[in-house]
Amino acid sequence: MVGTKRRREDGDIEEGTPRKLRAHLAVEPTEDTDTSDAQTPSRRGRTQHLAENGTPRSILKKSGLINGVNGTTPRSNRKLLFETPTKSVKADTPNGTPTIVRNADRSARRKSNRRILERTLNGDESHEEVLEEEDELAEQILGEGEVAGLEAAAEEAQDAVPIPETPSKRGRGRPKGSGKAGRPKKERSPTPPTELPSHEEYFYQNRPGGTKTSNQTLSAQTLLNHDEYFQAMQSYEDTHAPEIAFLLELHSRAYDQWIFELEEGFNVCLYGYGSKRIVTEKFTHRLYTHLLARPPSKGSKKAPKIVVINGYAAGTTIKDVLTTIASACIPANIKMPNQLASLLDFILDHLTSNPPQHPIPVILNSIDSPYLRRNPIPTMLARLAAHPAINLVCTADTPSFPLLWDVGLKTQYKFLFHDATTFAPYDAEIDVVESVNELLGRSGRRIGGRDGVAFVLRSLPENARDLFHMLVKEQLALSSIDGGAEEDDTPATPRNKKVTQTKTIAPESNQGVEYRVLYHMATQQFVCQSEVAFRTLLKEFHDHQMIESRKDGMGTERLWVPFRQEELEGLAEDLENKAL
Amino acid sequence: MEHQRCYIYEPPQIEERAPKRQRTSKYNPHAQLPERLQTCRRLWSQQEERIQAKADSTVQQNIVDFVSSAASATPDEPKFAIPTGLIIAGPSIASHGLFFGRLGQRIRDDTNSAYVVLTSGESPNLKSVLKNLIKKVTSLHEDDDDEDTDRPATSSRHGPKLLNYDLGRVQEWRKKSRVSSIVVAFQDSEAFDARLLADVVDLFHSWLDRLPLILLFGIATSAESFEDRLSGNSLRYLEGEKFDVTQSDDIIEKLFSATVASTDARLHIGPNLCRRMLDRQKDHVQNVQDFCDGLKYAYMSHFYASIPSIVLLDSTQPIEVQTEAYEAVRILPSFRQQIEDMLEDQQAAEVRDLLQSDDRLSDLISDSIKTNQHSLSTLSHAARVLSSVRASLQMSPNVRFSTIWTRAATGDMAGSPILRETMLSVKKIPSDRFVKLLVDMTGLQGDYLSVDLDTFQRELDTLVQRNDTATPLRTQHDVRNDSLRTTVVAQKVLLSKHKAALSEQDKAYSDLVGRFHDELDAYFESAFIDPQTLVLSEVSIYDLKSPHTEVFQPRPRFAIERALATPHDYLGCECCSGVDGAEAALNATKPATAIVYQMYLESGALLNVSDLWSAFNAIAGDGDEDGESKTMALFQRALAELKYLGLLKPSRKKTDHVSKTMWKGL
Repeated sequence: MVGTKRRREDGDIEEGTPRKLRAHLAVEPTEDTDTSDAQTPSRRGRTQHLAENGTPRSILKKSGLINGVNGTTPRSNRKLLFETPTKSVKADTPNGTPTIVRNADRSARRKSNRRILERTLNGDESHEEVLEEEDELAEQILGEGEVAGLEAAAEEAQDAVPIPETPSKRGRGRPKGSGKAGRPKKERSPTPPTELPSHEEYFYQNRPGGTKTSNQTLSAQTLLNHDEYFQAMQSYEDTHAPEIAFLLELHSRAYDQWIFELEEGFNVCLYGYGSKRIVTEKFTHRLYTHLLARPPSKGSKKAPKIVVINGYAAGTTIKDVLTTIASACIPANIKMPNQLASLLDFILDHLTSNPPQHPIPVILNSIDSPYLRRNPIPTMLARLAAHPAINLVCTADTPSFPLLWDVGLKTQYKFLFHDATTFAPYDAEIDVVESVNELLGRSGRRIGGRDGVAFVLRSLPENARDLFHMLVKEQLALSSIDGGAEEDDTPATPRNKKVTQTKTIAPESNQGVEYRVLYHMATQQFVCQSEVAFRTLLKEFHDHQMIESRKDGMGTERLWVPFRQEELEGLAEDLENKAL
Repeated sequence: MEHQRCYIYEPPQIEERAPKRQRTSKYNPHAQLPERLQTCRRLWSQQEERIQAKADSTVQQNIVDFVSSAASATPDEPKFAIPTGLIIAGPSIASHGLFFGRLGQRIRDDTNSAYVVLTSGESPNLKSVLKNLIKKVTSLHEDDDDEDTDRPATSSRHGPKLLNYDLGRVQEWRKKSRVSSIVVAFQDSEAFDARLLADVVDLFHSWLDRLPLILLFGIATSAESFEDRLSGNSLRYLEGEKFDVTQSDDIIEKLFSATVASTDARLHIGPNLCRRMLDRQKDHVQNVQDFCDGLKYAYMSHFYASIPSIVLLDSTQPIEVQTEAYEAVRILPSFRQQIEDMLEDQQAAEVRDLLQSDDRLSDLISDSIKTNQHSLSTLSHAARVLSSVRASLQMSPNVRFSTIWTRAATGDMAGSPILRETMLSVKKIPSDRFVKLLVDMTGLQGDYLSVDLDTFQRELDTLVQRNDTATPLRTQHDVRNDSLRTTVVAQKVLLSKHKAALSEQDKAYSDLVGRFHDELDAYFESAFIDPQTLVLSEVSIYDLKSPHTEVFQPRPRFAIERALATPHDYLGCECCSGVDGAEAALNATKPATAIVYQMYLESGALLNVSDLWSAFNAIAGDGDEDGESKTMALFQRALAELKYLGLLKPSRKKTDHVSKTMWKGL
């Protein structure tokens, strides 16, 4: 056993030997020979190693630094040449054991360290029992040192007045990466650090390779369809109903103020979480009764006209908005221009030349809805709102709606913003089931999945079926090309393939088949002869929501079947077998 | 109704009478609201007049003059270049639209011209520029709204019909309307395509013999860069004149002194609010209209929300002030302070009167409103005097009047370095500067300036006349009258300052300046009070930032994130408050969307919806199979809401994954 040890020591230059030490002393004859701690490079190597690992021991050394420098004898000056000052510090730490004892301790620890290392390296079987014993001892010693170190660290921490912030967080436990010796190497803990400043959190969550999510998928049955959803919702009662009602009541106290603000020529914009439709509805009623008591309607049968626009309703156009406003302020017998811009001009001119007795209130729900975002709608709305004879009350749902308007538009709108958080569900604004399906890329569920498609296809002529088949095949081929690149470096099990292929993708815009390509294929295979016929076929699919189309970044139109890979494959199979 | 796109509101048919809201307390927040609002409108209309008067009128007048001279100079002689006005309107594009609107109004009013504004948005190419131009010019006076004029009509009585982008139409129109010129303004010339501009210039030049065109270019950068964009050929067709519009900074400064710091203002705006508005102008918007709106809103808030504001109404038409107002006045901090002071002075009887008798209080109110009015006006005026003194002395750094006023209104002007420094410079003023200073200050003389400038003027005149040397008179404090003397005493150098011997005249002058300095100092001393100490300062000064900031600088994203992250803040319910005020991060009682949002916050940039669902089910679900569909419904609704708010978007990276688009607090 001794032999093995010797051998190792000889072979290992890094690990200093006593001989090495002597050599060093010879180089430095002035060195006081009774140096309390042997200044072997090995020692230094170890301390450095320790420092890197950052066991509590190193904390002790660092914090004791000043203390040590004061306590050392003049010879430390010299020593500095070839050792780190931290060394001597430890010897002099007030709480430490007497140096000699400590030294002995340390050398014992070093030996045991080495022994353990040796054992793990060589795995010498022959001296099993002896080793067992010694290992136990070694571990004991190591453990003791650890505990002593920890205690010292704790004491030190108590002594040191300004405690750095980090230790409080970390507590007494070992810092990251120091636990190599002790516990088995663990996977990085998945719990994210909490309480990061928001920008740090952004970078943390976006770190490369940082997002590891499981491959679980929702089974098709889990998501509710419309019927199930409404059934479930009907029985649901919000536990917060009284609080929500109270919020509404709070907002209702501001109605008079809003009316005053409108009268002073400002427009009002409401924002905040929750559907604000209820607020505007009640406010409209309040405004209605208010106007009813005012001169033009007072005493007469004439009811005040308040224009209500639901911006969230699908397909709301500026044309609808303008004609409704025109119907409120322009007598019916006047012919109005057809074009949008001139219609707007016409309305504004009319309002300027025949100002109504009170400004016409326009209540606009969801001014930031996708239907009202595109140019030139905001500009036109702003021109409307800027007119003194129009009072605009609008709501905005998205958090970043002010970005829709530049400074000029903002000036025109002349908005006063009010927080109208209601926590009310967006019942009218969102089609919940539909938008979740869209979010998960399952809009195909709409027509009842594969069976629905089959049903539709069965009622269509042969060439329509061929065209659909073509589209499905092409889409499958495209996605396998996209996935192919990834498969090369990860030899995946068939199960895995579907998941990995999605990794590479392939900007979303490149999904689907180009319109032109499909058309050419269709003509080549005599599915149809003209583009008109092609369009008619596609229209049928569109009507049944079996395909979707969108423009990609380059502006080319792309078509795709909104099904997931597995379903697509199933569809292709069915079509192949002429099972439909 | 909720799924209809647009409709005219109709009240529900059967209108069940809402239970009349009964006020349990006697306190009525809307006491005398109409009267207060009337006061507000009255006071604001006065301010508005001042604003109108101060707005950029001189430049507009110059431009109008230019237009009328260009139109009248050579009625029908051939011209070689199009008269062009380059209007340097500055970088704040928000005010350009308003500026050109006002300008157009004036041009139409003052000259016999047609005026058209073209913006880059409506002018992608030459054809649409012309179409727009023609439409705007011709419809100014008559509405002939033929649709499909894109096609040439086959024939009409007056020969072939012109295309709707043929300037011939304008020519025809002009024959009828007899305008002397047609002014075409390009509001945002930088945004126009350079080639398009060149084409327009070429075309207009070729029509110049038939149409009296005048061009105006709105320029946000500089005339040089505008010239760079056009080719030399096009430039040859233009005959330009440059107009510098007053920059919005300067206009704001003018407006500020005319409105906020006006000595006639009855309601004063406090320093904090002013600083906020000015900073916003400087940092964010640079928009005159916005400044006025902010000011107006301050007036509105004051009169809408504060009952005692009723007493600010002019005394010319006495209004019966209701007891609510008196009660409200009695709880004002400044009033209480006043009462305490009186008690310390052993005026218990009067205090009792004030607290019990409304009449007595009414007297106090009208008195203090009057004194407040005077002191605040004096303060504003003193700020103006200080600013003008600094301007005459050409002191650096150049401190804006608004800054001086804001500091004065905060109450820390008395004894401040800026005042001391100014007074020191006054002490050293040489006679030539002094003359100028007095001239500058004569305009400020009046009720609010107690220094008698005329006497000083007269005395100074006599002194200056007697001064026969070429150099101006100097005071004893002038540095040029100091000399340093070096003496060596016992091998030590002593430096000592010596006043040069002053001439008789200088002495007399020093004396004069000394008196002026003392009087001015005393004036500033008395004028720069702390407005917060005035009795009923709450009524005379409006200085609340609360509704103002939220209303003009909303933080919708913050509001939504807060509502989702800590719904307790809004709902105030007991179930979600967590322990010890610390918000419980995940809590089954929270609204479903808030729970999902919390998990959303904690997850990475990509979310697995399946995992999200199982986590959600673990928290919000009640465990049994039947409840699961309800939980699922809530979960789906939460997801849909997050998507609607733009927090989630579909991801095609993995099946059933969605990606995160917003990070809280960024």
